[in-house]
Amino acid sequence: MMRSAAPANVRVVTLKINGQAIGAREDETILQVAREHKIRIPSLCYLEGLSVWGACRLCVVEVTGSPRLLSACSTRVAEGMEVQTDTPRLQRYRRMIVELLFAERNHVCAICVSNGHCELQDLAQQCGVDHVRMPYRNSIYQLDSSHDLFRLDHNRCVLCTRCVRVCDEIEGAHTWDVMGRGIQCQVITDLNRPWGESRTCTECGKCVQVCPTGALVKQGTSVGEMHKNRQFLPYLSRMRQAL
Amino acid sequence: MVDVARYFMEFCSSESCGKCVPCRVGTHQMHELLKRIHQRRGTAADLALLEELCEVVQMTSLCGLGQTAPNPVLSTLRYFRHEYEERLQPRDEAFEPRRTAAAEAKS
Repeated sequence: MMRSAAPANVRVVTLKINGQAIGAREDETILQVAREHKIRIPSLCYLEGLSVWGACRLCVVEVTGSPRLLSACSTRVAEGMEVQTDTPRLQRYRRMIVELLFAERNHVCAICVSNGHCELQDLAQQCGVDHVRMPYRNSIYQLDSSHDLFRLDHNRCVLCTRCVRVCDEIEGAHTWDVMGRGIQCQVITDLNRPWGESRTCTECGKCVQVCPTGALVKQGTSVGEMHKNRQFLPYLSRMRQAL
Repeated sequence: MVDVARYFMEFCSSESCGKCVPCRVGTHQMHELLKRIHQRRGTAADLALLEELCEVVQMTSLCGLGQTAPNPVLSTLRYFRHEYEERLQPRDEAFEPRRTAAAEAKS
């Protein structure tokens, strides 16, 4: 896991995750600690190296003493904390959240460029989603193919905002943003101009590499051909810290 | 009462900011289900799905809007459940599992 330049006086706390006693640094989140100890918590919007967004709600966990469920990506560990990450109730909630994501836009794996290399597909398998109980919304979304190198397909976007954050925080261009609210939300380039006409885009392709689905892909890819490098961002942030 | 719940859900759905998934998509789906039930097109399965959605949206939403959005549905269901049930489509016998002689003998 990525470690920020550690101040010398960080305390170590002990907590229990699924009954397993674990020692962790005070400035780490539940999700980071769980992953260091090979405890799987599903997540979508969280990406190592980017700021915490806490919006996909897939990483919710039960913490003894807290009346509400807490998202593991945005909750720091504390002394004596008791965390449950995989109760039947949480499994049921996660399953439904993945179903909601599928029903929101037109996710059809069989014709998707990312088929077989998609984080949403992996999540569905991990959470045991074999069918979607609610009707698909079947709204028609646009496809922006105006850029020479990359393509944006709103039909496959899950609004995780990884592209928005990587463009702002790592590349420093802030080409991406979110427009509208509620179910009408969409990611946009510049002030909703076609991507190809964007003046701020540096064509670095970081957004394409971090996109979990087939919403942002390279031009010229066909069904199942879009492989993304999942180690791209952790590698980049590690290299930058080493400097 | 179904229409009252539908009205409040329409409000919550249009007020959702769209950041977290359960509120953004969940309120929209609940509004669709309530419309179906109100128009007498819903089934018992729709009502069961609506109740499960209520729980998920209430428990997992990021902020107070999503956490309280299912409340009108939950209270109308608690006190006026019959109004929902009498609007449901009758069960279609053709799609019910057939009771065989062996199953009859077991039960």
